[in-house]
Amino acid sequence: MKSAKRLLAYSLPYWRWLAIALALILFTALAINFLPVLIQRMTDQSLMDGSKPGGERIALLLRLGALYLAIAGLGHFVRYLQGMLTVWIGQRIIYDLRIEVFSKVLRMHQAYFDRTAVGTLMTRVTSDIERLQHFVTDGVVGSVADIFMFLGIMGYMVYISPLLSLCIFATLPPLFGTMYYVNLKLRDANRDIRDRQSRLNALLQEDLTGMTTIQLFNREASAHADFDQRNTDLRAAHFEEVRWFSLYFPTVETGQALAILITLVAGGIAILAGSEAVTIGTFVAFLAYIRDFFRPLGSLSDKAGSFQVALASTERIFALLDTREEVADPTQPETPERIAGSIAFNNVWFAYDKENWVLKNLSFSVEPGRVLAVVGATGAGKSTIINLIGRFYDVQRGSVTIDGTDVRHFSKHDLRSHLGYVFQDPFIFTGTVADNIGLQTPGLERDAVVRAARMVNAHHFIEALPRGYDTVLNERGEGLSLGQKQLIVMARTLAQDPELLFVLDEATASIDTATELLIQDALAKMMANRTSIVIAHRLSTIRHADHILVMRHGELVDQGTHAELMARDGYYRQLYELLRHAPQP
Amino acid sequence: MQRSRSIAQEPVSLKHYFTPHRRAIGATLLCAVVTVGCNLAMPLYIRWVIDGLTAGTLARPQLVHYAWQFALIALVSVLFSRFLRSVPLRISHKIEYALRNDVFDHLTRLDQAFYRSERTGDLMTRMSSDIVIIRDSIGQGLLQGMRTVVVILLASVVMAMADPQLALIMLAVFTPMVAVFFLVLRLMRRHQQELQEHVSDVSNFCQESFAGIRCLKGFALERRRNQQFHDLNAGLVRKTMRMQASRQVLWPFMAFWFNLGTILIFIVGGRKIIDGRLTLGTLTQFIQYLLYMQWPLLALSWVLSMLQRGKVSWVRVKAILEREPRIATLENGEPEPAALAASIGFGNVGVDIDGRTLLEGIDLEIPAGMTLGITGPTGSGKTLLVSLVARLLDPTRGSVSVGGRDVRQLSLARLRGMIGFAAQEPVLFSRTLEHNIGFGVAQSDAQLIGWAAEVAHLSHDVEGFPDQYQTLLGERGVTLSGGQRQRTAISRAIARRPDILILDDVLSAVDTQTEAAIMSKLRPVMAERTTLFVSHRVSTLRYADEIVVIEGGRITQRGTHEDLVRKPGYYAELDTMQQLREKLEAGP
Repeated sequence: MKSAKRLLAYSLPYWRWLAIALALILFTALAINFLPVLIQRMTDQSLMDGSKPGGERIALLLRLGALYLAIAGLGHFVRYLQGMLTVWIGQRIIYDLRIEVFSKVLRMHQAYFDRTAVGTLMTRVTSDIERLQHFVTDGVVGSVADIFMFLGIMGYMVYISPLLSLCIFATLPPLFGTMYYVNLKLRDANRDIRDRQSRLNALLQEDLTGMTTIQLFNREASAHADFDQRNTDLRAAHFEEVRWFSLYFPTVETGQALAILITLVAGGIAILAGSEAVTIGTFVAFLAYIRDFFRPLGSLSDKAGSFQVALASTERIFALLDTREEVADPTQPETPERIAGSIAFNNVWFAYDKENWVLKNLSFSVEPGRVLAVVGATGAGKSTIINLIGRFYDVQRGSVTIDGTDVRHFSKHDLRSHLGYVFQDPFIFTGTVADNIGLQTPGLERDAVVRAARMVNAHHFIEALPRGYDTVLNERGEGLSLGQKQLIVMARTLAQDPELLFVLDEATASIDTATELLIQDALAKMMANRTSIVIAHRLSTIRHADHILVMRHGELVDQGTHAELMARDGYYRQLYELLRHAPQP
Repeated sequence: MQRSRSIAQEPVSLKHYFTPHRRAIGATLLCAVVTVGCNLAMPLYIRWVIDGLTAGTLARPQLVHYAWQFALIALVSVLFSRFLRSVPLRISHKIEYALRNDVFDHLTRLDQAFYRSERTGDLMTRMSSDIVIIRDSIGQGLLQGMRTVVVILLASVVMAMADPQLALIMLAVFTPMVAVFFLVLRLMRRHQQELQEHVSDVSNFCQESFAGIRCLKGFALERRRNQQFHDLNAGLVRKTMRMQASRQVLWPFMAFWFNLGTILIFIVGGRKIIDGRLTLGTLTQFIQYLLYMQWPLLALSWVLSMLQRGKVSWVRVKAILEREPRIATLENGEPEPAALAASIGFGNVGVDIDGRTLLEGIDLEIPAGMTLGITGPTGSGKTLLVSLVARLLDPTRGSVSVGGRDVRQLSLARLRGMIGFAAQEPVLFSRTLEHNIGFGVAQSDAQLIGWAAEVAHLSHDVEGFPDQYQTLLGERGVTLSGGQRQRTAISRAIARRPDILILDDVLSAVDTQTEAAIMSKLRPVMAERTTLFVSHRVSTLRYADEIVVIEGGRITQRGTHEDLVRKPGYYAELDTMQQLREKLEAGP
């Protein structure tokens, strides 16, 4: 209920529009349901009134007919307006909420993404929000419209004939009960169908990925038996759904038939008894009401149970919005215009998980404009250094400083706008090559994009693409080799002209020699005159570094220039020998 | 089994899925006739009561009599109306079931090349939403289609008999209504499609933002990304409103049209009543028909578009069924030999895929009981080579033989039954560990499972699992590490006690100590059978009777470990590097 209240808060900015929608609903309910009253008048005062001359009766018939059409036209038009207005309000509310959820996700810290699957986040911004949208428009506003419609009909029925109305209303409780029950069963059945369908899909997905394994081990028959089992389960759930669905409309038909029967019998008896209260016109009008009477009833009984489902989605969305952002911005962040570029780690301890220290009491510093290479075996904690400077995570003990200021005193956004990254796994956005390099940075002209591409040796192959810089790439950058993607990503970093550069430099086996040389050359150009930290695997980058840190199990075991370290004949030398024998392109 | 043979002979068609349900389809028609008949009869009673009352000829006993008859007819109509729904819908679900089973059955026969060319997501869509659309168009087509046809036929007769002039008015009212409804429906569907595309744009945008969150944050793009999301979202609202503009029309339009029909009948019929040429009862009867016929007639346009979509989906599903398995047992009438030696031969084998030559000039004779080590750089064709033995694909040139017989002439079940295969990145199933290890064995027992796990050095890990061998793997159970997965795959392969054991780089994710432990137990098992193993580690390769080095799809070096370490080349380099790494791991 708390989340229902909170959801209500999102509709507050639109309360004026909601009030108008409500007025329109009221108008529609009164206008459309007035029509059978006109039918009654036509019947009693024109068709059945033998006391008046024929011409007068026809004139009255035409007059009432014209009024009928006018009210019907206006009523349905207003109903259309109301429908559109309601949809629009729902869309606005969902618009606000969706944007809030999306920007919340973007604000979350890196550790959150390590824990949370992309699929889960997708469910929040897509199906959970959609369910909420249905709840707002169809559920809440729809129910109000249904109730007004229903009350409108009941009101007019009582107005025309209290006796007949009461007889018909008496059938309502059992009928509504039955429909509610059938709807409940239908919903259960539909839930079963969804569950079993997703169980079947899970099996299918696994079998399709593992089809080779199934075939290699001659398990086709048993895979088929398993599939058949779940397929049979699904069919059984469908049969259950059919069972209740096939009861739903007959229930409505029963209600209608019963209401007609009551009208015929009770009305007939009343007329036979010479009652003034019931006329033939009442008869005809009631037959018209009975048609519309059951529709809102059915949709109300359907909505009554769907609220629960929507509330579950609402709660999940609010839970996401309430998640704490662990790497928070300071209230009064430092905003330096330029960064000189000295970086220092002071007795830094860091663990991704509890006490599993990845960095242990690490201290080092880099002078502005110098290139620092970090070497070590896998798992030595090298890439963590980069993560900490950009505040993807915060240190547990000690501090990381840039130009003497603790990075926690910067806002993440400002801080990162000074930093540039070249990751080993190049990420390509959907969009043109130019957009992927320039990232649509305001004020960044095409010239600058091309200059960056030239600098990292990407210009030639980009020009050779079907539409050059305007070639549209998809998310996975299909059609480009890994090396080409890396060059584009490097151009992107360079185009941002960062003051500090971080490179995860991994010689990848699947890059051909020519491209590899281009990449090495580009890296050298990028690092020239820029404070850089390189997690190095390429011998060329290591040799050209001004200073080298040797890491082992989260600790700094040695540091110095290449020549100094080689002379010492220690761990570094062994590492270097290994790299030399690794399959270098 | 029977079905797929019939597919090879005759074109794939939906027709034979209906054959078993002929009687049920007949029953649907019967239900439609009875229901519609009753529904058309009920307004007659209303007419008689009204006419009796206005003429003053109706007495109370007669009214009660009518009431009973009305109630009885209503009961019959409601009863049959239920079956009119349940019978055809059940048929549709039965066909859905049969179709899905058949497609799955066919999928289990299709070869690796098929799975390489199709995306799993696309196959999933065809197996779920496409089959669902086919089912719906069958179920609704039968239900709504039959009812509409029966309504049109019966109602025309009844109305023409009651009053031809009013019947013509009904025709004049309904024809444009169905036409307009059809047009609005089409407009709506077009807007809906545009909306759907926009929705998937939005969700792709989110997917990309979340998957690339690091890059996004690294470049401080959050603000720009938020702005883009704003714009996309505004477009979503715009497109929704456009779709709703046509969708919201449907209901008020239908209701208004009904009002129009009512008033037409009232005015035309009313004049006749005033002239004394028509009774109020008959007029009411027509109003009831107007009301009753509205939905079945509107359903006409709905069903037509449904059938259209069903057809499109069927074409997509049919494409799977029509794809012939490329790897199939060659039927040449020759009897299968009773016993088959576990020797393997490659005769000048070459493989081209998508125009690229991936293997060329492979000549190998592997006598039964031999252990062959295979090594070479990534992507040189090692996996392809071992896949040929199990016929995951056939060579483009040359031939592969087992026991002196071309593998294409052996039945697939027989050939693969001889082989235990473990891959570098094995697929395990979300079942118990026991099920996964005993996967290739018809009758597995605890002893066999235990032995296989012991050999693959897995039994120690298993003791730490919550339910030992009954532990579920995958999302709902235990997530295994890369090394554990590989060892499970080894257990699965050797549990078959195969004549030929193929290990495709299965120790890449375990450390050197574990590797040594596994090898000490695995070696006796390997010695008993013909073994092909792919590896990048000299420490494993050295035990092989012979080692071949494959570079760029060709065999560049072959010989024993002792031979190869002395020759300059890939193998010797590999050996040097491995020694360096060992020294490094030992530490200072």
